[in-house]
Parts: sequence; structure tokens; C-alpha cells
Amino acid sequence: MPKRRSGLSRLKHYLPGQRLRVSALGVCGVLMAGAPVAALLIVAHAINHGMVAGGKSRLTRDVIAYLIVMALAYVLQTTLVRGLARVGQNIVLGLRQDLFDHLTTLSLRYFSQQKAGWIISRLTSDADALSDVLSQGLTTLVVNTLTIIAAIIGLFVLDWRLGLVALVILPPTLVSGRWFQVKSHAAFLRVRETIAIMTAQIAESVSGMAVIQAFNRERAFLAEFDRANAANRETNTHAQYLNSIFFPGIEALGVVAMVSVLFVGDHLLLHGSIQVGTVTAAVFMLNMIFQPLQELSDLYGQVQSAGAAMEKITGILDTEPEIRDAPGALSLAVAGHLQFDRVTFSYGREPVLHGIEIDVPAGNCLALVGESGGGKSTTAKLVGRFYDPDEGAVLVDGHDLREVELRAYRRQLGVVLQDPFLFSGSIADNIRFAQPGATDDQVADVARAVGVDRIARRFDKGLLHVVREGGAGLSAGERQLISIARALLADPRILIFDEATSNIDRPTEILIEQALDRLLRGRTSIIIAHRLATVRRADEILVLEHGRITQRGRFDELLAAQGPFRELAAQLHGVSESGLQSAPVTGSRPRSSASVVSSEPE
Amino acid sequence: MDPPDLGLWPTTKGLAGLWREQGQLVLVGLACALVYSTLSLAIPIVVQHAIDHSIKPTNGHRESLWPYLGVIVLLGAIRFPINFTRRYATSRTGIRVEWRMRELLYQGYLRYPRAFYDVHATGQVVSRATNDLYPVRYFIGWGMTQGIQSLMMIFGIAIVLFVVNAKLAVIALVAMPLVGILTYNFGRRVMPISREVQQLKADVTEAADESVVGIEMVQAFGREDDVQGRFNVKAGRVRDGVLRQARVEGLFLPGLLFLPSLSIAAIVYFGGTDVINGHLTNGQFYLFYQLLLQLVWPLEALGWILSLGQRATASASRTFAWLQGIETIPEAAAPAKLPDGPLGVTFENVHFSYPTGSEVLTGVELEIPPGEVVAVCGPTGAGKTSLLNLLPRFYDPDEGRVLLGGVDVSTVPIANLRTVVAIVTQRPILFSIPLRDNLTAARPDAPWEEVVAACEAAGVAHFAADLPDGYDTLIGERGINLSGGQRQRVALARALIANARVIVLDDPMSAVDTQTERHLVTNLRPALAGRTVLIATQRLSTVEVADRAVVLDDGVVVESGKPQDLLQSGALFTALFGEEVAVA
Repeated sequence: MPKRRSGLSRLKHYLPGQRLRVSALGVCGVLMAGAPVAALLIVAHAINHGMVAGGKSRLTRDVIAYLIVMALAYVLQTTLVRGLARVGQNIVLGLRQDLFDHLTTLSLRYFSQQKAGWIISRLTSDADALSDVLSQGLTTLVVNTLTIIAAIIGLFVLDWRLGLVALVILPPTLVSGRWFQVKSHAAFLRVRETIAIMTAQIAESVSGMAVIQAFNRERAFLAEFDRANAANRETNTHAQYLNSIFFPGIEALGVVAMVSVLFVGDHLLLHGSIQVGTVTAAVFMLNMIFQPLQELSDLYGQVQSAGAAMEKITGILDTEPEIRDAPGALSLAVAGHLQFDRVTFSYGREPVLHGIEIDVPAGNCLALVGESGGGKSTTAKLVGRFYDPDEGAVLVDGHDLREVELRAYRRQLGVVLQDPFLFSGSIADNIRFAQPGATDDQVADVARAVGVDRIARRFDKGLLHVVREGGAGLSAGERQLISIARALLADPRILIFDEATSNIDRPTEILIEQALDRLLRGRTSIIIAHRLATVRRADEILVLEHGRITQRGRFDELLAAQGPFRELAAQLHGVSESGLQSAPVTGSRPRSSASVVSSEPE
Repeated sequence: MDPPDLGLWPTTKGLAGLWREQGQLVLVGLACALVYSTLSLAIPIVVQHAIDHSIKPTNGHRESLWPYLGVIVLLGAIRFPINFTRRYATSRTGIRVEWRMRELLYQGYLRYPRAFYDVHATGQVVSRATNDLYPVRYFIGWGMTQGIQSLMMIFGIAIVLFVVNAKLAVIALVAMPLVGILTYNFGRRVMPISREVQQLKADVTEAADESVVGIEMVQAFGREDDVQGRFNVKAGRVRDGVLRQARVEGLFLPGLLFLPSLSIAAIVYFGGTDVINGHLTNGQFYLFYQLLLQLVWPLEALGWILSLGQRATASASRTFAWLQGIETIPEAAAPAKLPDGPLGVTFENVHFSYPTGSEVLTGVELEIPPGEVVAVCGPTGAGKTSLLNLLPRFYDPDEGRVLLGGVDVSTVPIANLRTVVAIVTQRPILFSIPLRDNLTAARPDAPWEEVVAACEAAGVAHFAADLPDGYDTLIGERGINLSGGQRQRVALARALIANARVIVLDDPMSAVDTQTERHLVTNLRPALAGRTVLIATQRLSTVEVADRAVVLDDGVVVESGKPQDLLQSGALFTALFGEEVAVA
């Protein structure tokens, strides 16, 4: 990897493919900046040799030359605007893609440490800030910088003494420009800050409006909003104050410059070493120095924010992925034999798993039970290699996961999360997520097999019903059912199922239980269980407490034995301690009770 | 629900009203603009005289240059503070108008009914009060004054040029209006593209958002390539959009440089000829040239202002439409008073539908005596939440009445009603303030012992002690993220602390795990004593807290009775909860 770069210089990475275009545009830029200066020199010539000397034909020739130069400038500018936009956009696109690609390789640990909104801002508002600077800003920067240089050269070409006058004016201009940059950058940051606070305040009020209104909190929120709104007004006013001083100031300096040129020019004219056209042209030439200066100062704020944006983007790009393929990683066709060999793991300093030993033969089902915080989810995450163990190893078919090609392995893995995330798109799209090539019939079959078709019937468009991002409008149970269909279609060798703890209405719960039968058939599965009915399916049950296995065995064995499982079983969903329940838990039971009418197929 | 955007005329009137509100600043800005324009015309005129009388005297008599230079410097020195004041006053006008409109909108947001928030996404509502206001601010804070000043400059320059040399003035000015037309057309051509680019950027945001939030799924199934592919396509579309925009810019913007150069070429040629023939002095030639340069910006500015004005009025018309067109929940003309003591709740033949859909409640009849705890059950979509939301008047029924202590809730002042009824919404909403303030949001002066007692009952005390700063821990984005179950418990405690006589709990423990829920349920019952309570729930253990359960199906009450009895007799109730017992 090349030397780490921060800031805008990193963007050079994305230039190589376009070197030819960039050099061509560079030439365009120089010519483009030179053209008006050249045109003005022609005008000076026209005044001196045409008007003053009375050469009509010279005048005609000069005017034609002037028009040709300006027409050329028109073509050049068109090329430049479009070409620089292309260069800039290619850079932004490359950067955005790299950033996104890189993000997908980062581990869950990274995503759990950073807020989602923070990461998304890097991909969007920060990339957009760069895009703005690179598309419009780049043209302004290139053309104006070159124009100032060309105009100063032009002054020297007109008359070197007048050129020196311009150089006298330049230092105070640059100093005040620098002052303005520093001040306005600080002001700009404060404006950003107050806008962010105000926007957050509005967003929070809007999303919490039900509570604000329900509890009559309108006045308190209005007061808080007024503070944020007023603060935003004040920072904006301050930023405008700086603008209002700087730009008239530059204008005043321009007057000083003009007076100096007139004064010196007059002297030289008196001595006959200069002509009146030269002095007039010099005054116009000063316009070409001061006008771009103003535009550049305007641009400065943008460049500053782009630099800040790039710094944050660089922070992500420089984050090394924690989990990645070892050299020569094995592309494994998984049979499904899963082992934990004395696995110890910690998120921070305190281990959450202590020397866990697990052996699940291919096709078996292992249930993890225990109070929350015991290490169940962590165990499941290690199976998916979302983290690597600190000590010991997770083995699949006898191979250490760290020596297996990650993506190929995960494609043989299925995961059903407790609170499943649905992507925006139709229900069918969500089922197809892990098998994008699946046909509509395959999707429909799977949907039918796990009962998603029943959910879909609620909607006019059935499986083509578009769910909003996150799955709003569907209950947690329904989302889990769709996520089961997704996993079933993926046809994984190893399945991780995290049972929902939250409320699911009974009919949906029954659908999930049946879907699970179908899903678990013929694959190795790890289930984080909260319901007795689920625990009962397992070939082996592990009770995890504080990161250690305190009990293991089959359902009836565990229930018969004195130990934590018996206490736990009494609390698990499906066994009520209240007056309503009656008989103790006994062996198997009919999968569905006859009293459940509405949702049963049979 | 969304009122139509206001027409151009009422929008303009509205904007003008806000503009006039800042009367003094506006006047100062305009006065300075007039002086500024005059000075900006005067300086070149003095330079012209300096050239004609001193630098290159037309009559051979050479005057001293010093007085001219002195006057120029003086004019420049006066122009500086004038220009400062002009800019500052004008931009402050814009900032203040923006600030004011935002204030009005926010006040509106606080009054708008739930139905408004059902159909408008949070992002849309927020951006209406932030990003959407910027065109208005720039238009008022720059466009209005700059527009007037541009007109002053254009007329001033035209007059000066005509006075100096009418024939040359006509030749010079022929091409100039094209600058304004070009700019205006550019604005019109580029606006739709830039709006499209904004939309494409929003698509990228959505793609990024999903993939980041759903990263676990993406990685778990090894589908990184797919999401990368999709993201790349969307990011590529943004690039293509920006490039389309650049093509238009490339076509129009150089024209802004080229068109004035046509006029200048005309001046150099015709003016030059006049100079040779002695009809025009060197100084006058300078004046023509200089004023043409000075004319470019005002014309360009007019073009910008016209297209900015379109954007500003478009966005202001949407804002005014909301400010004037959203109907808030009506307050009774003759407010009724609620009786003291515990209040019963009655639903009388209540029908209700959302604006977008069919009828959700189709004639609910329900009588709840004071102090009763009623569980509202029913399958997903039965109308439980809709029924509960009628009580604090988040919505009004289409037909029928909701009575509180025998008084129609629509006759009770809303603030009063909502003090009496405390609600825990399905999705718990907490604010980014310390836990303590979240708890006492409904009653900031609640005695601390009561807060602690409610926290015990709602199971907040259980985890509050483990938070870094206890009850002073900051909650939310900038602070600690509580789990869904913890948030629900805080919301529950908040409702208990409100000291309301009626409590409405909409599935208050859906995200609390089963074990914790059992502890909660045992503690909750005593805390609810003496209040009338409605609980919507999916869990039998929560139903057991209630004195009575009612089952909603398809918008009507189909079963009602003691939970134990319903398990025996209620068909739907057994379907919903029976299995839970049958397991055991």
C-alpha cells in the first residue's frame, strides 16, 4: 500500500485513467485564461496604433483578431467546463465506489461502534461536498487562478512599470484575502454547527410529535426550537458580516490600484515612454485581477468543507478490515460439521465466552438457551465469522474458519435475525435477496412453504407488495417469516436462527413454528431459543451463563436433571406460572392445537 | 391531506408581507443600493474626465491629475461603508425572513394533527423547514435588492452612454439584453436537471442507508457484490446527471463571456472610428468600454434573480400552503369541564377510517367504568391502535362519540384532555435529553419519590442504576442508546408519572423479553390502581393484568369478559391466546 494520505491529495489516486484528458484540459485552461488577456492586449494595440495613430485598417484588423480570440475562448471554456466536470465526477464516482466497497468489508465491530447515520453521511453529504467542489469549483479554481496569473503577466507585457504597480497592490489584497479565509472558515464551521443542531431539533420534534402533543409539551419544545433557530440566525448574520466587509474591501483596493496605475501611467505618458491605450488597457487589466480574486474567495469555503469531508472519508478508507481472507484461503464446499475448540472471545477487555467447546455433527440442531448477556448471540456470530475468536478456533468440516474463503463460506450460511431487516423493495425481492437469480415460481414456492403467502394476501399486490425500508407496516413476526423464506431460498448448509423475544401474535407465531420445521430439515442449525417449542426440536441444548456452558444435553435429560435448565424452562415462553396454566411440561405435543382455527391449513 | 400549493399571486403577497416585516432593513438596503449605484457610475465618469483633461487632454491644455485622483479615492472611500451596509442589511433581511418562516412552520408543526404526520415522511417535514427555505432566503436576502439595484445600474449606464454618444450607445447596447435572456434560459434549462440530480442523490442515500443498516444481512449471506453493484449503478447515475448539467453549463456559461465581447468589439470598431474622426475622445472611449464591463453583472444578475425567484416562489408556495391549508384538530367553541375523580370511558357507535383507506373501526361499542383495567386484544390490523388513538384525540371519529366521564372528548379543551389522558405509543419515543427529563416530560414538577416509585413499577429502576450517570444519563443519538425494551419501560414510567386519570397503553411491552415482562406485570397492577386503563396487547401475561378483556375483530368488539372466562368461551380469544396455555 502506498504512503497513507489524508486530505484532498488522496484524490490523485483516481486520476491515472484520465491522464491524457487532464493534460489536455490543462492546456485548455492556460489558453482559456490567456485569451481575454490577449484580447485586451489587442484592444491596447487598437487604441495605440488604430485610434491614436489614426490607422483605420489596423483598427479593423484588431477588431477581427479580438473577435477570433474571444470565439476561441468560448470554445475553450465550453470544453473546459464539460471536461473538468467529467474528471471531477469520475474522481467522485471512483471514491464513492471504493468507499462503499471498503465499508462492506469492515467487520460488524466497526458498524456497532459507529452510528449508522455517521457512516452514511460519509457516502452521501461528504461525497457530495467533494462533487460540488470538483465539478463547479474546479472550473472556477483553475480558470480564475490562471486568469490572475495571466493578467499580471499581461500587465508586464503592456508595460513592466505598470506591472510593478500591480505587484504593490497584490500583498495587501492577499493579506486581507487570507484574513477573510481564516475568519470565514471559522464562521462557516459555526454556521454548519448551528444548522446541524437546529435540524436535529426539528427532526426530533417531528418524529416525536405524538408524545409532544400527548403530553402538552408544545411550549417547552417551542422554546428550545426558538433558541436553536435564533442561534442559527446569529451565526449566519456573523458570516454575512464578514462577507459584507471583505468584498467591498476588495472593491476599494481595486480603486486604489486603479488610481495608482493612473498616477504612474500619467507620469510615464508625460515622459512619452508610454501611450494612452496602454494606460487604459492597464486599468481594464486590473479588473481581471480583482474579479477572479472575489470568486476565488467565495470558493474557499467550499474547498475547506471538501477538505474536511475528505479527511473523514479517508478515516474510513484507512480502517483495516478486521476479518479478511488469509492468503491461500480454502474455498470450501461445506458439509456442515461445526466445532468450537476452546473458544474464548471478548468484545472489549472482559471475555464474554470462556473456553467454549461445541461439536455439532452435520445436519444436527443445536439450541442455545440462557439469560440475555450469557453469550448466545456471540456464539452465533462466531459461527458466521463476524468476529474471530481470541483463543481457540471455530472449525467447519475440520477446517479453521480463518483458513476458509470468507465470502464463499458465508454464501453457504443462512441467518435469520431476531429483528430482521427488510430492504426496500417487494416482499419477493426480499425473499430473493440471497439468490437474486431465483425465478418467480421458486420464490412463490418458498413463500408458500413457509406461509409468507398468507401475509402477502393482506396486501393488494401480494408478494409484489413493496415494503418500505426497515419493513415498516409489517409486524416483527411477519418480518421474521419473510426472513425465514429468504433463508430457505438461499438453501444454506448451516443455519443460524435467532428467535424473536418480542411479542408476536399467536397466529403468526404458529406460522413461524411450522416454517422452522421446513427450514431446519437437512441442515446444521444453531438456534438461539426463547420458546420451549423451539428448544424441544434441538438435538442438543446448551445452557450458556456468563460465557460458560453450565449444562448440556437433550431436552428430556435436561428437564429431568437438577440444574439451571429447569428454572429457565419454567420462565420460557409457553409456560405460564400464573393461575391460568395447569399441567407441567411433558414430552411431545401435537404441533397445533385444534382450537387454533383461523390460521391452520389442516 | 396535502393542501394544493398556493398560486403565484397569494405567494407573492405572502412573501411581500414577510419582506415588509423587515421594513427598516429593507429601506436601508435599498437606499444604500441607490447611493452605491450612483457612486459606481460616478467613478468611471471622473476617470473619463481625468483622461480627457489631464492624462490625454483633448484641447492640449493639461490640467493637474491630483484633484481627479483625489475625487476618485474619496468616492471609493465613501463607497466602501455604503457597500458594506447594503450587503449587510440585505443579507440580514434574508436571514430574518428565513428565521421567521421557520418559526411559523415549527409552530404549525406543533399544532398539526396526527393525520398530517401519517402522510408526510419525517425527512420531508424537516426539509420543508430547513433546505426548502434557502431559495427564499437568497431571493429575499439578495435577489430582491440586487434586482432593484441591477435595474438602477442598467438604466443609469444606458442614460450616461446615451448622453455621451447616442449612436454608439445603441450599437453597444444591442447585444446586451441577450445576457439577461441567456442567464434566464440557462436557469430554466438547468433547474430541472439539478432537481433530478437531487433526486438521484437521494437514491444514493437510500442505497447507502439500507446497506449500512442491513450490513449484517449482506455479510451473512455473502451478498456484498450485489449491493456494491446496485450502489455503483446509483452512484453512476448521479455522475451522469451532473455531467448532463455540466453540458448545459458548458453551452450557456461561456456565452456570458462571449456576448459582452461582441459589444466591446463593436465599441472598439465604431468607437475607434469615431476617435479617429474626432467624434469621440479617448476618455469617452474608456467610459464606454468600462461601463459595458460594468453592465455585464447587473444583466447576469437579473437572469439569476428571475430563475431564483421561480425557485423561491415555488418553495414559498408550498410553505404557505402548509401554513394556511392544514387543518388542526378543532377546539370546541364552548369548552366543557370534566368531572372530578376517576373517569369512565365510553365508545358509542364509533366509526373511523384513515383518509387513505377503508373503514378501520365499524361501530365500536364499549363501556369502561371508572377504575377498570381493560385489555384490548385482536389480530394484527383489527383496529386496536386506531381505537386507542381516539381517546387523546389524535384523531376524531368519523361517526359516533368518545366519552370521558360522560363528556364528549371533542368538547374538552385539547390541552386539558391530554393532561387527563396519558398514552404510551406503540413505538416508544424518547428525546435526546437526560433520562430524568424524559421521565418527567409530562409533569416536570413531579416529586422525586413519585418518579422513583413509577420507575420501580415500570422496571426502569432495574437498569437506570447501571447507566453511566444514572438518571442523569443523556439518552439518544448523542448519548446512550437504550434497547427497545428499555425505551418502552421508560415510556411506561413517563405515563405513570404523568399522574393522569386515564392511561392508554398501546402494546407497551412488545419489545420486553418474556422473563422481564413477567416481573413487570406483577409490579404494574398496583401502580395502575385508581385509574382507568386501556391496554392493547398480544401477550396473555399482559392480558392477565386486566379486569376485563375485549376482543376487536374487523373494527368491532366481538368478545368481552374476564380473561379466564374468555379462554373457555371466546373463540377468537382462544385462537389468539389459547395455544400459550395449551403448550403447558
